[in-house]
Amino acid sequence: MRKIFISTDYCKGCLICVESCPKKVLKISSSISAKGYTLPQVSDTEKCNGCGICEIVCPDFAIAVEKEDKAV
Amino acid sequence: MSGAPLEKKQDGTGPAALISSGRHYLEGSEACVEGALIAGLKVYGGYPITPASEIMEHAARRLPMVGGRFIQMEDEISAACTLVGASWAGGKAMTATSGPGFSLMQETISFSIMTETPLVIVDVQRPGPGQGYITTSQEDVMQARWGHHGEGPIIALAPSSVQDMFDFTIEAFNLSETWRTPVLIMAEETVAHMREGLFVPDLDQIKVVLRKKPQDLGIAPQDYQPYGHDLVPPLADFGDGYNINHVSLAHHPDGNVANYNLDMHRKNIDRLHDKIEGNADVIARTESRFLEDCEHLLICYGTVARTGLEAIMEARETHGIKIGFLRLVTLWPFPQSLLRKRIKKVGTIFVPEMNLGMMMHPITEALRDRCDQVVSIPSIGALHSPEALLEKIREVVKC
Amino acid sequence: MLKHPMLKYLKESGPHGTRLPLIMCPGCGVGQVLNYTLHAVDSIIKEGGANKEDFVFISGVGCSSRLTSHYLNFDSGWTIHGRALAIATGVLLANPDLNIVVFTGDGDAAAIGGNHFIHAFRRNINVTVICMNNGLYGMTGGQVAPTTLSQAVTSTTPYGNIEDAFDLCRLAQSSGASYVARWTTAHPHKTIKAIKKAICKKGAAFIEILSQCPVHKKQTPVDMIRALKAMTVPIKNAEGSSKIPVGEFCDTPRPEWTQKYEAIIEKCAGRKS
Repeated sequence: MRKIFISTDYCKGCLICVESCPKKVLKISSSISAKGYTLPQVSDTEKCNGCGICEIVCPDFAIAVEKEDKAV
Repeated sequence: MSGAPLEKKQDGTGPAALISSGRHYLEGSEACVEGALIAGLKVYGGYPITPASEIMEHAARRLPMVGGRFIQMEDEISAACTLVGASWAGGKAMTATSGPGFSLMQETISFSIMTETPLVIVDVQRPGPGQGYITTSQEDVMQARWGHHGEGPIIALAPSSVQDMFDFTIEAFNLSETWRTPVLIMAEETVAHMREGLFVPDLDQIKVVLRKKPQDLGIAPQDYQPYGHDLVPPLADFGDGYNINHVSLAHHPDGNVANYNLDMHRKNIDRLHDKIEGNADVIARTESRFLEDCEHLLICYGTVARTGLEAIMEARETHGIKIGFLRLVTLWPFPQSLLRKRIKKVGTIFVPEMNLGMMMHPITEALRDRCDQVVSIPSIGALHSPEALLEKIREVVKC
Repeated sequence: MLKHPMLKYLKESGPHGTRLPLIMCPGCGVGQVLNYTLHAVDSIIKEGGANKEDFVFISGVGCSSRLTSHYLNFDSGWTIHGRALAIATGVLLANPDLNIVVFTGDGDAAAIGGNHFIHAFRRNINVTVICMNNGLYGMTGGQVAPTTLSQAVTSTTPYGNIEDAFDLCRLAQSSGASYVARWTTAHPHKTIKAIKKAICKKGAAFIEILSQCPVHKKQTPVDMIRALKAMTVPIKNAEGSSKIPVGEFCDTPRPEWTQKYEAIIEKCAGRKS
């Protein structure tokens, strides 16, 4: 199971990560953040293979995925 | 790649390619470039315009000889912009233009003031407005101070001779590096195209200033604030590893433009103002003669100082008029307190200018309570002759 | 604690407050382009192709150009509208060893910057130009741009645009750029590869990235990403298609400006006149 971190400081709820995830690990959350954004949330971490596409497509550097053997 | 102190080199670059010390006979345009090379000029970005093109052409020939790079750009805007980039990368940079090109460069000048970028721009003035004509003028002297949008002071020098074109260009670079600011040389067609003797001292007699860098002050990259630390902030070059962010939006001393507030904005603008205007007494220079016993005074600048001095000498020697002479070497910052220190009480202050009267306004503001009247002597398109100046002086003084 | 891997290249905060998140609107393509660029740069640095302090980012004015405003943990300059390439030319002439990346937008590069655009490519100066094309002026409120498609309604074409759009890649190529490519924010891996290739090549490279402006187009970021994918076609399949071709348009190395000037310096060095 991989850790996935979504920053409530940086995320603006564009949901491009949800769209881009090939394994459908993320979904739209039902709550609104303190800044008024509807953030993504992890729906199924088991499916995450650490491809990192969510990190690459994020316009705000707001998501990070644990990757084995990859230094951050 | 910033201008290194003049050191003796054996490999043919550096001082070997610089003008040798001693007497030379040069055009003002050439003297300007030779001075710039001694000051450490590394990049010239230019665009042709009469009567400034000779400066550019001379730079095109001479710069590769000292390992510098010349480029003719597609317009004056990009020519001025080249200087900004070069300076940021540690290369001293200069261009020369005339009125219409000077107007195009104003946004870049404004940007350079806000980013505190050292560079030198020569305006070889010609009459305007519009195409005007291609003879001589001093019609851009107010534009030099007020032509760029927004607040922000400028330094501007007014050369009168080929020697000045050499000396003042070196001084302009030194001022720009010392005060981290663009500097203007308000030349005229007359001085750019005149040919006379130039004396070049030994290179080790010539002072060349390099910008103060954070590494010189022991400031680590993670602590560096591009607009902080001092009234004149140290300036890191691209490639130094200081991760400098150049910004021209109103900024905090660390270059942050977020968290805008009026207090931050005011401090930003006030420091820029204080840096130059607050140091006017140190930066601004005048030259004067016969002030001790003068009953009247001629204040002038640029090549008008040549015929002006001739007229003064004639007035004193032939007609017994006790008239003094003062020339503004620095137009901006205007040397108001310097003038008030030197001039206590005179009758008429004559201000001959190759325009309809521009510097006469700050002169009047500075000295109106120290004289009976200020008389402007305008000339458009040509230099006043000594005879014309003498005639006006005699007419007013009634002698 | 997990952190986005590219945050090491950004200034998150300083003595005068926080700097992130980026000022861009939610879902704006500009942030994605920064992400792709940093991935490309990171890859080059890790492979020993360049040192971090050799990179310089120059931008003009506009949403795309805000990337250099105070975010980058690199040398950078946020300059004047349209003039990034002219300033970049100066940087190069003072230090040809720097890796210069220009961030620009379609208005910045092709309207006010148009003259410098064609000359930079004509000169083949060593620079990588990353142009985020959203087909309008975003920062100032969604006005028409030289890249706005015909008939589009914008704040200054309320009755529909009567002009046709530039093809920026053709403009760059015909001006003399030695590497030209077009991708979109919906093509992350292709874009990263193209940026990396461009930076590693000598000469003037132009990379156009079609990018979404959800606010002025009044669509969601996700819908626009889907549309960018749907409206484009690889160059090799572009014949007869009405879609926008994406891919590499040219890769034709030719002598770079500072390389040619070196020959002049060698010939002249040390002469007094």
